[in-house]
Amino acid sequence: MGKVTYVAVDGTRHTIELADGENVMRGALYNEIDGIIGECGGGLACATCHCYVDETWADRLGQPATREESELLEAASAPRRPTSRLSCQIVMAPEFDGLVVHLPETQY
Amino acid sequence: MAIDVLNPTPPDFKRVAGMDQVPPHVPAELVHSAGITFGPEFLAAPHAYMAAMHEKFPPLYYDVSPFGNAWLAIKHEDALKVLRNAEVFSNEGATPFPRDPDDYFYFIPQEIDPPQHRKYRNIVDPMFSPQGVLKLEATMRELANELIDEIITKGECEFTTAFGRPFPVTIFLRLMGLPVEMTDTFVDWAVSLLHSNDRAIMAETMTKISAYLKSAIEEKKRQPDEGVVSRIVHAQIDGRPMHDKEIFGFVIFLFIGGLDTVFATLNNIWLWLANNPDRRREMIADPGNINAQVEELLRVHSVTFSGRTIVKDHEMRGVQLKAGDKITCILPACNFDPDVFPNPTVVDFHRPKQIILAFTVGVHSCMGAHLARLETKVAIQEWLKRIPDFAIKPGAEIVYRPGGVVGPHHLPLVW
Repeated sequence: MGKVTYVAVDGTRHTIELADGENVMRGALYNEIDGIIGECGGGLACATCHCYVDETWADRLGQPATREESELLEAASAPRRPTSRLSCQIVMAPEFDGLVVHLPETQY
Repeated sequence: MAIDVLNPTPPDFKRVAGMDQVPPHVPAELVHSAGITFGPEFLAAPHAYMAAMHEKFPPLYYDVSPFGNAWLAIKHEDALKVLRNAEVFSNEGATPFPRDPDDYFYFIPQEIDPPQHRKYRNIVDPMFSPQGVLKLEATMRELANELIDEIITKGECEFTTAFGRPFPVTIFLRLMGLPVEMTDTFVDWAVSLLHSNDRAIMAETMTKISAYLKSAIEEKKRQPDEGVVSRIVHAQIDGRPMHDKEIFGFVIFLFIGGLDTVFATLNNIWLWLANNPDRRREMIADPGNINAQVEELLRVHSVTFSGRTIVKDHEMRGVQLKAGDKITCILPACNFDPDVFPNPTVVDFHRPKQIILAFTVGVHSCMGAHLARLETKVAIQEWLKRIPDFAIKPGAEIVYRPGGVVGPHHLPLVW
C-alpha cells in the first residue's frame, strides 16, 4: 500500500491509497478521479491514461517501461513530454509510496 | 436524454429503414447501400470488402439497408471521435436486440453513460483486467490441449465446432459460473440472436435467454459462488444492492457479448493461418513477438461494429448529422484505414503500436478485450505447437454467416 497524488491541470490534488501490485490508472478509476480515462483497461492498447510523472520521481519512473508504451505515447492527445507515462504501466510497490503524477489537459 | 437506470423505458427513436425513409437533410450523393453483413459481395469476402470500402465509398456516408438506415463511419479518426463523444453519439437505443416494452431493461453497462457507467465497470473490471484474466491462463492452456487431444490423430476437423466454439465458450461459462454442459444451447441462442437477421426470431430468442438467466440469477442469490454472475448479483452500487433490472441487464449483456465474438475471431484467424503457411512458420519462428502477432491478427480480422444514436445535431467532415440519426462505425473498415495503417491489408507483425478498433474505444471499450486477447494468444500458441501444418480441406467452400459478428460458418481443416 502506498500513497499516490494526482495533480489536475488546475492544480487540484487528490491523494489516494493504492495497493501494491495495482496500477496508477486503476487507482484513479476506483477513486473517480477525473482526468484518467483508461479506456482499454490497462492492456497497452490506447493512450488515454497518459500522465506526467513529477520531476521528483522522474529518475525512477519517468521513462516508458517498454517499446510498446513509448510507441503508444505518440498517440496521446496531450503533448508528450520527457516524463510522459501511461499510468496503467506504473505499478505500485513499497518504494513508490508518495508518488506524484500530473494529469494532462486532455486524454482524447 | 439522461436515462433513469432504475426505471427503464424504451427510447422513442423511430426505426428508419429503406430508400423511402432517407431523411431530407441527407444529400443524395451521400446515399449508398453497401449491403454490410448480408449482401453477396460482402459475404463473399467480408474483410476484403470492408478494406476496399475506402476506395468505393465516401469516408462518411448514409447507408440504406432493409435492416436500418445509418451513417457509416469508415475512417479510424472518425470512429475515435464518435466513440469518445457520448454527448453527441449516445448509446441509448443503439443496441439492436429487441426487448419487451412492458418489461424493458437497459443493457448494462453498454447503455449507461458516464459517470454512472464507471461504477458498474468497477464491479467487474478486476476480473477482466490484464492481471485478472491471467489467473485463467493455466486452465485455458489445459482446455486447448484437451480439445486438440480429441482431434489430433484424426488428421482433420471442422474447426468451428471442434475448437473455435468450445474453447472460448467453455472459458467464458466457467468464468461466469454458468453450466458448461449447456454450451450448445447457449451458442444456438447467440446464433439466433446475432445471425438470423429476423426480428421475430431475435425477439423469441431474447425471451428464452431472459427466462433462463432470470432463473440462474435467482439461484446465485441463494447460492453465491466466485463466478461473475454471482458477483454481480451480490454487488453494491452507490452503497445499495443492485435492483433486479440492473442485475438482469448486466448479466444478459455479458452473456450476449461473451458467446460469439471470440468464436468468430478464432474462425477468421484459423482460416487465414490455413491459407498462409509461410506466415504461420514466421510466427512459429518468432515466439517472443506473439503479443504483436495477436494484435495484428485482431486488426485484420475484427468481427463487429459499433452503433450510436445521434442526440445533438453535429457536423463531421462537412456533413450535417441530425439528432435522431443513427451512425455505425464499421470497425473492421477503420482497421484498414490506409491513413493509419499503411498497406492496410498486409499482415505485418512489426507495425508500430497503434490503437486498433477491434474492441472499440471510449468508455464503452470492450471489457472482455483482455480475455479475448489472452484466449487468442493461448489458442494460437497451443495449436501451432501441436498442429503446425494444416490446410483447408480440399473442395471445402467457405461461406460467411450474415449478421453482426463476422466469421465463416464452417471451416474444415486437414493436416
